[in-house]
Amino acid sequence: MSSSADVFYHVAPFAGFTYPNETEVPWSELIVIYPYITGLVAGAFVVSSLHHVFGMERFAPISKFALLTSLCFMFFAPTPLLFHLGQPTRALNAVITPHWTSAMAAFGYVAAFYICLLLLETWFSFRADIVALSKSTTGVMQKVYQALTLGSDDVSKRALDTDHTIARRLAMIGIPGACGLHGYVGFLFGSLKTREWWSSDLMPIIFLLSAVGSGVGLLIVIYVVACWWRKQTPDNGAMQGLLYVLWSGIVIVMVIEALEMVQMIYKAREGVEGVFELINGPIHVGLFFQWGGGLFALLVTSVMMLKMPNPKRLIFWLFIAGLSMMISVLAMRWNVVIGGQELSKTMRGLLTYHPEVLGRESLFTVATLFSAPFIVLYLAQKLLPTVWEGEPLEPEERVFDIHKAI
Amino acid sequence: MHKHIVRLLTLIAVVAVVAASARYLARQDTFFQYGHYRGASVAQIAAKLPKHQGSATCEQCHKEIYAEWVGGIHRKATKDNAIQGVVIKSGPGCEVCHTPAGNHPSKEPMPLSTEDQVTTITHKWENHPVNAPGRKLLRAPEDMRLLCANCHEKIPGRPLRGKVAGEGVPVQAVTDVVGIHGVPQIVIEGHGGDEICTNCHNPHSPRINFAAVPRPPSDPNTGKLIPVSAFKSGDANAGKAVAANCGACHGVNGLSVNPEWPNLAGQHADYLVRALNAFKAGARKNDMMSPMATGLSDADMRNVAAYFASASCKSTAADKVKADLGKTKAETAGCAACHSSGGLNRAGIAGVSGAQAWPNLAGQNAAYLTVALKSFRDGSRNHAVMSSVAKTLGDADIENLSAYYASASCK
Amino acid sequence: MNKLPREEKMTTQDINTEKEASRMTRRNFLGLLGKGAACAGAAAGAGGALASAGGGAANALGGVGPTFQQEPEQYAEARKNPPKIPNYNWTEHKWAFGVDSNRCIGCLRCVEACKMENSVQMDRNHTRTWVERYTYLEGSDHALVDSIHDLKNVVPASKETRFKFDNRYKNAKVAKSFFVPKLCNQCEKPSCVQVCPTGATYKTPDGPVLIDTKYCIGCQYCVQACPYGARSLNLVRGTAEKCNWCYHRITKGLNPACVEVCPSGTRIFGDRMDPESPISLFLRNNRVNVLNPDMGNMPNVFSAGIDKEVI
Repeated sequence: MSSSADVFYHVAPFAGFTYPNETEVPWSELIVIYPYITGLVAGAFVVSSLHHVFGMERFAPISKFALLTSLCFMFFAPTPLLFHLGQPTRALNAVITPHWTSAMAAFGYVAAFYICLLLLETWFSFRADIVALSKSTTGVMQKVYQALTLGSDDVSKRALDTDHTIARRLAMIGIPGACGLHGYVGFLFGSLKTREWWSSDLMPIIFLLSAVGSGVGLLIVIYVVACWWRKQTPDNGAMQGLLYVLWSGIVIVMVIEALEMVQMIYKAREGVEGVFELINGPIHVGLFFQWGGGLFALLVTSVMMLKMPNPKRLIFWLFIAGLSMMISVLAMRWNVVIGGQELSKTMRGLLTYHPEVLGRESLFTVATLFSAPFIVLYLAQKLLPTVWEGEPLEPEERVFDIHKAI
Repeated sequence: MHKHIVRLLTLIAVVAVVAASARYLARQDTFFQYGHYRGASVAQIAAKLPKHQGSATCEQCHKEIYAEWVGGIHRKATKDNAIQGVVIKSGPGCEVCHTPAGNHPSKEPMPLSTEDQVTTITHKWENHPVNAPGRKLLRAPEDMRLLCANCHEKIPGRPLRGKVAGEGVPVQAVTDVVGIHGVPQIVIEGHGGDEICTNCHNPHSPRINFAAVPRPPSDPNTGKLIPVSAFKSGDANAGKAVAANCGACHGVNGLSVNPEWPNLAGQHADYLVRALNAFKAGARKNDMMSPMATGLSDADMRNVAAYFASASCKSTAADKVKADLGKTKAETAGCAACHSSGGLNRAGIAGVSGAQAWPNLAGQNAAYLTVALKSFRDGSRNHAVMSSVAKTLGDADIENLSAYYASASCK
Repeated sequence: MNKLPREEKMTTQDINTEKEASRMTRRNFLGLLGKGAACAGAAAGAGGALASAGGGAANALGGVGPTFQQEPEQYAEARKNPPKIPNYNWTEHKWAFGVDSNRCIGCLRCVEACKMENSVQMDRNHTRTWVERYTYLEGSDHALVDSIHDLKNVVPASKETRFKFDNRYKNAKVAKSFFVPKLCNQCEKPSCVQVCPTGATYKTPDGPVLIDTKYCIGCQYCVQACPYGARSLNLVRGTAEKCNWCYHRITKGLNPACVEVCPSGTRIFGDRMDPESPISLFLRNNRVNVLNPDMGNMPNVFSAGIDKEVI
């Protein structure tokens, strides 16, 4: 057959007994990064909504930034799936004739809906700024901004009030949307009866809560790095707020994950020995990072919750905690997606998955796809510089501010 | 309503209409005809051409071999058996051992099925080996042992009724008692030495019944002798120097000085190499030959074997009466199955072996043949086939056979 | 799973009774679900799945009602206007497969024949059918299992595409050992069809679950969902791959390739609508079992002589 060499590269070594067809692990590291990216989207969106919907003022300085982060990552959420498909050119078949009994069929619609929602909310949040920019810039950029205004420069108070109301309502839809998007990814795994490691009713909740944890972690990391880059000081109030959200996220996700594990072991259904083998075998490093990273972040945030440190230390330790939470959740995604496939359907064998370094489905692709949202985020904040300014109390002042800023 | 909201709603409406109509237009006609799938795909899948054509197809051209198979045990296992009320067609047909016929004998590639035409955007399209035009259906001779062992090697788990053919147990005895579930099972070590299965068994009718079944030692299609695997021929010129050491006993031209020692002239080179290897490894013992063989390298063996194989042989005189008696015995004992170039039921040269791995007997010294048969009989020399055959021979038989083959023409 | 003993003694008269019974069950079931299913989109999807699954369950013998996830009007179309396959009507057959493990000699001719017949990738890790070997060593309560992909069974010094079971237990004390051929079960309620996002795989009224290689996107969700490990991804085609009982052969009146080459009569194939077909006789005269009945997939491959350890 053609290219037998690279066929064999995919084959996972195994111990015990597996079905022959299982030795090629169907879902690769691209499927690890897919729920990770959607999780980041959901988490970042939740933070932005804390201000937009619930009116928590301490998040005002980062709420627009969180929204933009969410949008930039959402653009790339479907790409790992696309790269993973055996026939990527036919990807739209799932949209043209979605088979609704499949958990995967709705993906195209859910993702498209969520991208549209984020686009709309972003547009309404930034519309006044876009109008201002279309007047203050020249040349090509002016044309771009003019196109983005849809040819209307109505920035009257009434119009901006309407924008604000619509944006808030969109954000209200967006919260169940984000939960749905990510709970749905969890359902995709949890609904498979064939995989002991996945087949759990708690899977959607675990995915959702770990998404919040990792999303907040990402936001902290990007915010701190961006402020350092722009030689600004991160807003202390916002940082404290992020600390609270992160701490709650970590606590809940760790409790639920532990519950799931205990339940699986306590029920001790057929194949639980295989689960033990899996935990001690192929994914023990992953579990070390998952639980180690989580516990470390929990420890750091708990100490800070008990006694709020000074702003400089808060920035440093929150950055560390956010980063370790991101790593912990990434490891958790690996343990779920790859770990579930490393335990054979026969329950009598273990496979060891070795990711490829170069190729269509490889670590290189993962790195490329995961760095793309950061690049797009950089470009987006160039396009919409007001993202750093937070939301002032009066819309008119903001417009005025723009002219001053430029 | 504000202008920008109106424009936005218009934009959304346009996008939605375009998306919905694109989705509608992209849908295949027959989708949803029978269910949530392309109805047309059923006929497309069913239109693929079968590649296994069945044994009856082979009969149309290969009548002789087909008849051989029909008369043999492989076909007997194939006849419809009523087992526990279930009619089951079983037993190995042609395509079990040969690869599927496909569009054989056409030299054109087989038309590609719908699924064969599908390829990814990252993989280069390449034809499946089975679709290769002019594909060979015969297994390579060196594959045969592996192929036969696929069914007939004794492995725990194979359903078995009766005894196992192993060392010293004739296979016939076993096949008769193997029940309906079982196949004859062979302990490969000690069965037939390192011969290829088809050297002794006719794959189309594998039971060795020396009185009835032909054993063509030739390729059934081409008529050429089946060569022994991995035999590299040596250089006769280089072998001449080595042969100088042998000449003291076996004669410089391969005709030995003592009738109890074998003539080597015209002997199959492969057989000579095997014999030398057996002496070197200790599988065969002889006070003179064992130390001689120990000193020879593999290349030496091949060269000296090639030298003697190219030397001209000579028939030796023997008692005419004994030779005639020997000829009759040779027919009933089935010697010709191996030691005639034609096998049992075909014309061939008596005493000239079919396969390179077996010795020519024509023109051999009668005294040496007698010694050899007796040593097989008393167990001082061992060979899976010869040991059991020699045990059936009396002293007189051995002398008559020796005389017959010694006087046979070796040309 | 209580349908098995009942079906073994199926006669033509019973089939008719069965038809009636299945229609009744189905109508009630649909009626019940119909009200709830009309509500929201998602609910309708899930309800449809349940309803169709119910249809599949009632339709134990094909040709008497809609198959898995097939609407009644689509089934009517399947009867009225069947696919254009010469001399074949898919509502007149209900194929089934039998595996008599007692007879299997583990020669793996079926594996090679299948790969040739269907142009499957020739390696050991993508296969439509395979054979497993279960071995109890003396004093052990658990079977050791290996199959064609075990490194021990790679034929030494041979091309990788030759398949053979190694005599690996020749120096061990074996208490019991047997071979079990495996293939796609063409389930009545196939979880692979349930999870296919596009409709590239589907259950036909005559039994087999087919893959539309022109429509499959290669997401491999079905590979994950199959409890039997029967599916794989064909890397050359980029689409899912699985046994379809050689649909191109059975629609021409031939046996599947693996049945054709099986030298020991382990593999039995036939039409359950014909009470004298090999499979009907096999089911009638043997006590058969299916693999993993607790998965609820209702397989159509019936095994005789399998052991508690067989998974």
